[in-house]
Amino acid sequence: MTESHSKHILSIMVDNEPGVLARVVGLFSGRGYNIESLSVSEVDSDKFLSRVTIVTSGTKNIIDQIKAQLLKLIPVHNLIDISELKTFIGKELILIKLDVKKKSVSKIYKHVKDYGAKILFDNRTEMIIEFSGTPSEISSMIKKLRSFNIIELTRSGLVSIALGKDYIKK
Amino acid sequence: MKKLSGARIVIETLIQEKVKVIFGYPGGAVLPIYDELFKQKKIRHILVRHEQAAVHAAEGYARSTGKVGVVLVTSGPGATNTVTGLTDAMMDSIPVVCISGQVPTHMIGNDAFQEADIVGITRPCTKHNYLVKDISKLASCIHSAFHIARNGRPGPVLVDIPKDIQTFKSTYNGKKLTKSISFYKPILKPPIEQISKFVDLLKSSKKPIFYIGGGVINSGLGASKSLNTLLKVTGFPCTQTLMGLGATPTSDNQFVGMLGMHGTYEANLSMNKSDLMICVGARFDDRITGKVSGFSPHSKKVHMDIDASSFNKSVNVDLLIQGDLSKILDMTIKFIKDKKITFKSKSISDWWNQINKWRSKDCLSYKNSKTVIKPQYALQRLDTLTKKLNPFITTEVGQHQMWAAQFLTFNKPKHWMTSGGLGTMGYGLPAAMGVQIAHPDGLVIDVAGEASILMNIQEMSTIKQYRLPVKIFILNNHYMGMVRQWQELLHGNRLSESYMDSLPDFVKLAESFGATGLRVIKPGEVDDLIKEMIKIKGPVICDIVVDPKENCFPMIPSGSSHDQMLLGPNDKLEGEISEEGMVLV
Repeated sequence: MTESHSKHILSIMVDNEPGVLARVVGLFSGRGYNIESLSVSEVDSDKFLSRVTIVTSGTKNIIDQIKAQLLKLIPVHNLIDISELKTFIGKELILIKLDVKKKSVSKIYKHVKDYGAKILFDNRTEMIIEFSGTPSEISSMIKKLRSFNIIELTRSGLVSIALGKDYIKK
Repeated sequence: MKKLSGARIVIETLIQEKVKVIFGYPGGAVLPIYDELFKQKKIRHILVRHEQAAVHAAEGYARSTGKVGVVLVTSGPGATNTVTGLTDAMMDSIPVVCISGQVPTHMIGNDAFQEADIVGITRPCTKHNYLVKDISKLASCIHSAFHIARNGRPGPVLVDIPKDIQTFKSTYNGKKLTKSISFYKPILKPPIEQISKFVDLLKSSKKPIFYIGGGVINSGLGASKSLNTLLKVTGFPCTQTLMGLGATPTSDNQFVGMLGMHGTYEANLSMNKSDLMICVGARFDDRITGKVSGFSPHSKKVHMDIDASSFNKSVNVDLLIQGDLSKILDMTIKFIKDKKITFKSKSISDWWNQINKWRSKDCLSYKNSKTVIKPQYALQRLDTLTKKLNPFITTEVGQHQMWAAQFLTFNKPKHWMTSGGLGTMGYGLPAAMGVQIAHPDGLVIDVAGEASILMNIQEMSTIKQYRLPVKIFILNNHYMGMVRQWQELLHGNRLSESYMDSLPDFVKLAESFGATGLRVIKPGEVDDLIKEMIKIKGPVICDIVVDPKENCFPMIPSGSSHDQMLLGPNDKLEGEISEEGMVLV
């Protein structure tokens, strides 16, 4: 019996205290779960709360187990499985540094415009582009720019929010 | 309000938590706390000889009393030595609070002398841990540690206290918890609809079995009592896991023996053929299930547990009931009484007839000998001659542990302390110390093997210092018996490194620690040895030289299911063990 694996976006509200990320990540590595993307930052500086977004995949049993294990961590206040909700938005930010040749400048500008990306820096030899979008939009953006010389790029990891009343309780 | 040093606050919080005894070992980074211990009379400190033993002793104390066991160790090696003990407590859900010293806050991260990142190291083997970097949070961290250790599914919590925090001053305002702990609220009471569904399943079942785990013992005496009532009301058979032994009396006729890898034929077949399995505070561990696809394939499964992460972990169940077992069981009994439900039926008596047929196979029988002591015989005699005294039994890990589980009677909860989940050799002796400290007048017996006992033998010194009358019952077969058994069965009888050469003379060893040493080699001498052991007021090491070749049966070979048991040495494996089975532990 092989059960199908599916992708899940878990949004986790945690105390912003030293070691909390290690607890969350250690749980995944220690129990052999996969982290496809991870993003974390403080979201409430009065209550010292951080929000962690983890993209993971597994069978229903594995995902249930991940959630139950996460909820056992003392600094975890709450979590929601955003991907189980009807409507949600998932976005990622990417910064790309390009080595620019004179003849390709106009093409790059066209791609940037098509995708609604932003040029943050351009000194005729090097260009830094900022783009935010869904993971597939970002992948397609990278694919487009691959024909130019990408020196380096960095992605923020997915952040996600659900529509309507399905918000995470603090 | 008067300001107290951090070290003094540690003592005040422990007193507030009603701690009577702590197990520990001093060192540089906890000297201020030891200084405060010296100045007070309310808390007794037991000086162990190795920090691992301190945790096992605290576990023994906790398991035999239901209270939180407390450990105090220094930084670095003192703290890292507790890791095995903490992992053991984590696996078996034992409430322990371990306080460790740490290098001063400004030195942390500097590779200072005796520095170890113990909070990092123990993160996966504690229920929670704290590094206290602010004196004002010291008291609330310690109180929270106790709160976490004893509530929900119990477990170990470590509090790491840098030395400067121990000397800084602050006020102590009594029992307050940390902010985030207010979010830790285990679900204690299930909705009544679940109880109603559960009772419906009980009513419609023709071949039910209760599968009872250590959660019942953790939940407390009330849970044991209620479970026993439910068993009597239903008349259904029950089996217990290694951790659950004694949750309800094992001398009861409804008890069909322990289940699992070395469980009884009738227990494992009852599980395999049942149409309703009621799991009460157990966790479908791999020693229990064997091959998961062949595990009780035709039954509806009910699982009661306080820990949601135990549900559907390895086996999918039909009805989940989350909560404290004593509450779940009480609600069930009340529901049954209110509705005046009875359970006697033809199908249940047919089920019992079937179980009794399996029972008649007498799967624990062995071929006794007049010339050499069989380990099973020694334990049967131990059981017969000590039963009336309600002994507390601890064990090490291996064949002797399984035989103890099979042949001893456990009529009361909290009288059986064994390392179930982690399987820690060296557990039994320090655990027995902890039990004896909690029950100074109790008969405490560590059933041991000659290999395991050497893993924490230094604790004989602790036993001597505190005059603990612990009885150590070594079944000495000159082998790491369980290792040898697997080598015989799975590795072509190549006994790689499993022979225990150069053993000490246990009688002289006992004497060198001021204990009594007794040694027997003939079956006829066993009774006298046990009687003598009971009579002696102080600690005793019994060296029982047993048949070196005896193996532990029944056995479900790895990768097999409950109906593929080996019942004795003449049962051969059907074909080769599959590759899948070979890699299992």
